[in-house]
Amino acid sequence: MTEPLAPTLERRLVELVGRDHVITEADRLLVYESDGLSAYRWPPRAVVLPATTEEAAGVLRLLHGEGVPVVPRGAGTGLSGGALAAEGAVIVGTARMNRILALDPENRVARLQPGVQNTRLTDAARPYGLYYAPDPSSQTACTIGGNVAENSGGPHCLKYGVTTRYISGLTLALADGELVKIGGAGTDPEAGYDLVGLVVGSEGCFAMAVEVEVRLLPLPEAVRTLLGIFASVADAARAVTAIIREGLLPAAMEIIDQNTIRAVEASVYAAGYPTDAGAALVVEFDGTDAGLDADARRAEACCLSAGAREVRRARNAGERLALWQGRKKAFGAMGRVAPDLLVQDATVPRTKLPEVLERIGEIAKRYDLTIGNVFHAGDGNLHPNVLFDRRNTDERERVEAASKEIMALCVEVGGTITGEHGVGVDKRKYMKLVYGPDEIDAMRDVKAVFDPRGLFNPGKVLPDAEVSA
Amino acid sequence: MALEQHPVGALEQALEAQHERLMPCVHCGFCLPACPTYNRLGDEADSPRGRLHLMRAVVDGRLSAASEAFRRHIDRCLGCRACEPVCPSGVEYGTLLELARDVAGRSRPPVLSTRLMLAVFSSRLWRGLFFLGGRLLRSTGLAALGTRLLPSGGLLGSARLGLAMVAATGPWRASRRWTEGQDGTTSHAGAVGSASADPDRAQKPPPPSRATPVVADRHRSTDRIRVGLLTGCVQEGLYARVNAATRRVLEANGYDVVEVRGQECCGALHAHGGDLEEARRLARANVASFEAAAVDLVAVNAAGCGAAMKEYGTWLSNDTVDDMAERAAALARKTRDVSELLSESGPRRGAPLRGVVAYDHPCHLLHAQRLEQPPLSVLAAVPELEVRVVEGASECCGGAGIYGLTHPDLGGRIGGDKVRSVLAASADVVATPNPGCMMQIGAGLRLAGADLGVVHPVELLDESYRRAGYYAGGPSGSRGPRPSGGI
Ligand SMILES: Cc1cc2nc3c(=O)[nH]c(=O)nc-3n(C[C@H](O)[C@H](O)[C@H](O)COP(=O)(O)OP(=O)(O)OC[C@H]3O[C@@H](n4cnc5c(N)ncnc54)[C@H](O)[C@@H]3O)c2cc1C
Ligand code: SF4
Ligand code: SF4
Repeated sequence: MTEPLAPTLERRLVELVGRDHVITEADRLLVYESDGLSAYRWPPRAVVLPATTEEAAGVLRLLHGEGVPVVPRGAGTGLSGGALAAEGAVIVGTARMNRILALDPENRVARLQPGVQNTRLTDAARPYGLYYAPDPSSQTACTIGGNVAENSGGPHCLKYGVTTRYISGLTLALADGELVKIGGAGTDPEAGYDLVGLVVGSEGCFAMAVEVEVRLLPLPEAVRTLLGIFASVADAARAVTAIIREGLLPAAMEIIDQNTIRAVEASVYAAGYPTDAGAALVVEFDGTDAGLDADARRAEACCLSAGAREVRRARNAGERLALWQGRKKAFGAMGRVAPDLLVQDATVPRTKLPEVLERIGEIAKRYDLTIGNVFHAGDGNLHPNVLFDRRNTDERERVEAASKEIMALCVEVGGTITGEHGVGVDKRKYMKLVYGPDEIDAMRDVKAVFDPRGLFNPGKVLPDAEVSA
Repeated sequence: MALEQHPVGALEQALEAQHERLMPCVHCGFCLPACPTYNRLGDEADSPRGRLHLMRAVVDGRLSAASEAFRRHIDRCLGCRACEPVCPSGVEYGTLLELARDVAGRSRPPVLSTRLMLAVFSSRLWRGLFFLGGRLLRSTGLAALGTRLLPSGGLLGSARLGLAMVAATGPWRASRRWTEGQDGTTSHAGAVGSASADPDRAQKPPPPSRATPVVADRHRSTDRIRVGLLTGCVQEGLYARVNAATRRVLEANGYDVVEVRGQECCGALHAHGGDLEEARRLARANVASFEAAAVDLVAVNAAGCGAAMKEYGTWLSNDTVDDMAERAAALARKTRDVSELLSESGPRRGAPLRGVVAYDHPCHLLHAQRLEQPPLSVLAAVPELEVRVVEGASECCGGAGIYGLTHPDLGGRIGGDKVRSVLAASADVVATPNPGCMMQIGAGLRLAGADLGVVHPVELLDESYRRAGYYAGGPSGSRGPRPSGGI
């Protein structure tokens, strides 16, 4: 347990944000010890919950003044341990910074506080015929601030691209509390250095986003959603390759394997995937109505020629939603199968998917583990989810060893160690698989520009000496 | 998985026995935005995931069940179970909460107001006196007076809220517009539920000769389904008119409603309040009473009671005496919300009511029993009635037993938000099928100075049937007005 905050510091924080929003009792801090990756437990020294830009800046200034490290935290759905507090850090949470400040349908932009949940933004934009495109599976819960930090992707990012394409401006509170505005309404994204692009994806290690300006898109006029049922994941992956080879550009292509199908079908989000299938492939086309049917038919043919035993089409919005719910809640549904879950995240060249999946299956067998695969197949972004029970020490060790082999395998075939969940604390050990010392030094230099004292989200991403938790 | 009936002093083991139930929480956080307390406080310890994390810490021996943190955050939970339907892992939060409250309560007794209320609800005598007092306060106008005169803060503020809740239980007076008959003439009805002479004191069902209204032909057969109505304590004490309306409406839809003697409080308040032992005692009594009445089904018109009765199998799963576990499970399987029974039978359409009703979902119907459409289909059986589902209807009204009294600030904020969205619906009347919610929303409206009545949906259907002449008695009723679309 880390030492408590100095009483004067605590008092000043309380004066700034109110007694209820400064949490210092060890018992209450327990709930902040993990994020979506519950294998790690690092309780923070304190949690402060500001409500406004000024409060957030003030909190950072006070903590910086006392040399206390800080970690921003959104909804804590991150899957790499990014929102955990290392080295006696204080969490600055955005749960109360959850207002949509402005929505400009004419210019298709919105300005919001970082704690707004992804889906809430789209809900607010929908009456204007607009939506926010990046759709991480966690979108009902995760915050825009977290999305910015992780440069989050989602099933539809195959066609629309990830978060960074949709962030047009940021107000940052730097480690010392200084407020800096970058990008934003009226600025030309092409002129000068793309500072916004630099910060998006920095995993909360540079600064805290206290206001975010996002671009919105018009809602697609029409959608077609297909479900292909295959005997094996490899067949489904071949269908994906065939669809791309056809020159089609689906909005999303997602594969769900048998272990995952069974978990989903046992959950409240049962989507009607056949539980005896080796894999299911969801393909979605969107855009103007004309032409979508033709695209869907061609994709159907690709699936059949890759060996699909059946291709279904969602007949209405309800069926489409059910198909997607099943995919988006797949990770949570795994909780039914085993008490603990390690969600892995890696990217491989799409054409290598069948080979990689086969080899992951072999690794699972060798370590006697159950691995469920769900992935953004169109992007080659894999999520092998390893099921285990943390009370079983031997199994925990096998999980660790298998994860390492999977990462090495992905790098070996020309891929990388994360697709969208970030490095956080969990993947630091793999950084050297993909980067040489020069690159890592360059990253460290960039961070130092924002955070010269190294007080901002320490112990993440860069493979320093092991941090003490 | 069974709820252990554990000895005092073995608190942690009790939760430990729930390991299987806690383990499926994968910490994904999907439940956070569904939680009214997290949405308002922003502290993860007041989120479902946070509360589960605290429970798990108790199980793991890292946190004491007697700790301030455990009690405070478990206490602050509304028990609305909005976190359950969104959980992809199917964590049974409601059951875990009951157990956590039981565990917390054994290590440190709950606050006085909770203990007092549970004591009152445990005894028929006390219950009777309590509700008699309530009815007296209501009929003498003292409740309404106190609501106007008392200050809003402190102890007197709690008294004011309590009185407003009592005052809000009075029958709803329909406005002129509603009372216009089909042809524009004014009917004699002034108040919904006025079909029986003194609706709020109707302690017994009307005698069978009167209670059997004219029913549609297809229900004339001899194999009518026998249902026993759970009369409920608050419902029978302050909303006897809702029970009366329920009986009439069920009969009109072809059910035989029989009296169930010896029935008790359902035990929901005790289970939520941290006294599972007493909840089980009440449940056993109900199992015996409803068995003795040889009913096919149990009808419940209070969402909270229905949700509890559907859990009887879980509550008593370890009770091997007299096969209680199986008997409780059997009774739970027979339990239906009144809206389920009505929507299974159609429901039969009545005469038009011209007005706008704002509908709000009780948590224990929507989240705990997962019933979204059936209550709406009850309202849809009233021709020309315009139904507006309240914005944010899936969120708790803040009633949650006596939450408003134990947590005045937070309860007040949650209740205030609900009142605002109810008012935004610009309706003539509010309908919600749970007495706690009826009182909470009714009190909130009163305190906000709004003159808007709150009814149970079956009351509107009942009024619609009454106007249609279904209760006229004797065969003449069948010649009464038959609105289009009748079954
Ligand atoms: C079931 C499930 C499915 C998921 N699916 C996807 C998916 O499809 N695609 C995907 O990309 N991710 C996915 N994720 C991962 C996760 O939801 C995303 O990384 C998300 O962006 C995290 O948002 P959050 O608000 O929960 O952030 P947190 O977990 O609280 O924080 C994540 C990181 O962001 C930083 N941060 C948070 N707020 C700010 C801020 N205001 N300023 C600066 N830094 C900040 C934190 O310090 C931390 O490093 C999934 C997670 C789960 C549990
Ligand atoms: S949604 Fe379910 S699994 Fe996810 S954190 Fe909440 S309770 Fe746990
Ligand atoms: S029951 Fe309601 S208040 Fe309690 S944790 Fe679940 S959503 Fe929150």
